[in-house]
Amino acid sequence: MLACNALFKRNGWYRFAAGITGLWLVSMSAFAVPAFNRQTGQNCVACHAGGHFPDLTPYGRLFKLTGYTIGKSVLPVSVMAVASLNKTRSATSPDPALNSATAFPKDGNFIFQTASLFFAGRVTDHLGGFVQITYNNYDAQSPSDSHWTGHTTSDNLDIRLVDRFMSGSNDVIVGATMNNNPTVQDVWNSVPSWGYNVVPGSSGPASTPLIAGGLAQNVAGLGAYVFWNKGVYAELSSYRTANGFWSFMSKGFSVAQGTQQILKGENPYWRLALTREWGPHNAMIGTFGLNAKVYPDPADPTGQTNHYRDTGIDGQYQYILDPHAFTLSTSYIRERVDYADAVANQPHPLDPAGLIGLPLTNTQDTLKIFRAKATYVYHAKYGTSLSYFNVTGTSNAALQTSAYDPANPGVLLDGSEGVAGNLSGSPATRGWTTEAFWTPVQYLRIGLQYTAFNKFNGASNNYDGFGRNAKDNNTIFLYLWGAY
Amino acid sequence: MRPSQIIIALVITAIFSGCTNLERSRSLANPATPATAIAQQVCSNCHGIDGNAESPNFPNLAAQQESYFIAQLNGFKSHGRSDPAGFEYMWGLSQNLSDAQIAGLAAYYSQQKPKATYQAKMLAPSAEGKKIFEQGIASIGVPPCGSCHGAEAQGQATFPRLAGQHSDYIVKQLMVFQRTDQRPEGGIMKGVAHLLTAQNMQAVATYIETMPPK
Repeated sequence: MLACNALFKRNGWYRFAAGITGLWLVSMSAFAVPAFNRQTGQNCVACHAGGHFPDLTPYGRLFKLTGYTIGKSVLPVSVMAVASLNKTRSATSPDPALNSATAFPKDGNFIFQTASLFFAGRVTDHLGGFVQITYNNYDAQSPSDSHWTGHTTSDNLDIRLVDRFMSGSNDVIVGATMNNNPTVQDVWNSVPSWGYNVVPGSSGPASTPLIAGGLAQNVAGLGAYVFWNKGVYAELSSYRTANGFWSFMSKGFSVAQGTQQILKGENPYWRLALTREWGPHNAMIGTFGLNAKVYPDPADPTGQTNHYRDTGIDGQYQYILDPHAFTLSTSYIRERVDYADAVANQPHPLDPAGLIGLPLTNTQDTLKIFRAKATYVYHAKYGTSLSYFNVTGTSNAALQTSAYDPANPGVLLDGSEGVAGNLSGSPATRGWTTEAFWTPVQYLRIGLQYTAFNKFNGASNNYDGFGRNAKDNNTIFLYLWGAY
Repeated sequence: MRPSQIIIALVITAIFSGCTNLERSRSLANPATPATAIAQQVCSNCHGIDGNAESPNFPNLAAQQESYFIAQLNGFKSHGRSDPAGFEYMWGLSQNLSDAQIAGLAAYYSQQKPKATYQAKMLAPSAEGKKIFEQGIASIGVPPCGSCHGAEAQGQATFPRLAGQHSDYIVKQLMVFQRTDQRPEGGIMKGVAHLLTAQNMQAVATYIETMPPK
């Protein structure tokens, strides 16, 4: 199995020094839950385009922006479980050190993957929320006997305080959000939290900007927003480390998640979106961003920080007229990172003594990601989607997990990684994911995805130095999702 | 944030969230919630703040006949009306509404001013639809729509206003009448709809949607 994780960390250094194998994707994703269905009495199709979570309809967006408060108070509890099978095109490598069982754990096996408990719904006329706690059945693997252990952690959280003022043709929603994942509070499906690789276990690019999940459940955010006349959405939030009083948002940090990131002070997040609905169509164009200062070593949160400036533009188009529901969403995020002196201009990780002349690590990096996804659902039962991702960015020796020994051309340095290796130091990864799914009843979905990589870790062929090609990471992913 | 600041924030939150301003409530289980608040805070999300629904997935309610409106909401509430548009969206929302709230909603929407739909601005009026609406199809026994729904499709009592309604909604409901028993209160329409072809339905629905708003 191929498992990519934006949270993959290497010694707390470069967050996007991402690898691929040996880690299960713990997609910090959540779907709207049947507790909302019981609260409003409405079917999933009211809030989700064609009943396909997490794609929100115009009504679903308003339900969220008004703090999940429409309806009656009910027991706000739901459960969710995902079982899946992941099969990688090639689980072998010329790397003599490759242990397929470790690099592709459970590849080809149908497994019970995650389960979540939700507390979701209205508390008062103005207060409501969505709190997810997730059990990951494959969190960590014992180094001695390869036995997997499960772990329970905080997952997405979004608590809102909202009011809505309406008179004549004026309609103003004002609200405050407390959440633990930048963009999880957003209502469009073009943002990282809700747009791509939402099903736990699905494959995608390994290196993504910080705003795309890199701080999920690491941080505590407080923000204020306004939605004016269903046309203009503006939000300003601030994120800080979810520790101390705020640690309930990052409980149970696990092996799969890595070490919790420590941020310096308050870190601003902003969002502006223009949206319009006409007939069965609706569209949005927007921009969002995060300016975050992250300590390079979470064990020593002092001194200089790595400074991330993430800026995104996004758009979405929907056509919803029963029995058809079509959603097209796209986003482009550019990230610039200025590294702290402690990690900039450092010797190559495979050449710590600087004896063989590999380049020093960068002082600054740029990472860009373009993603687009189209989803069509018929009769809220049968659907298909196609998505594209393209990651580009500067090459950095810190990303090089494989390297040739300059003194012995053609021979890889000791410690070079096959499968997860990166010979070029480039984060460039490009590919497609296509999916077909069936929702026989609104509490159950069966999906089959295929992800094809045209480029991986900077190359189409021999990206790791051991002769592994990008397409070897192509993945078939079958999942069974249920919630109640 | 210091502990004292957190406590202050929590107290303010508790006060603010605990205060129930019924004029801006979205509670559907509180009989004290005014109908106007329900219309604006909840119904408007799909049907528009003035009863003119932008999406053809949802019917326009502006200037709808009060008696018809009340009958429909009671039909949703009792599950007597069970077409997909009913049970998917309206069963739950109506389940706890009081008679007074339903009457209040009917009054609210009856007083709203209809507007032309987005689609109406692009559709060409249907001569065939106009003929069916005004004259029926005598050869097969289809009565003129206007005989019950009014010459200007303004509706009367439990016969709904149709003028300016989304044609997609009209066609879907005619199909419900023709093919199912999901709307027993509209039994009179079953016989009529049975006689119509899909082309007839589309023609008359187009004519209805393009009627000038009055």
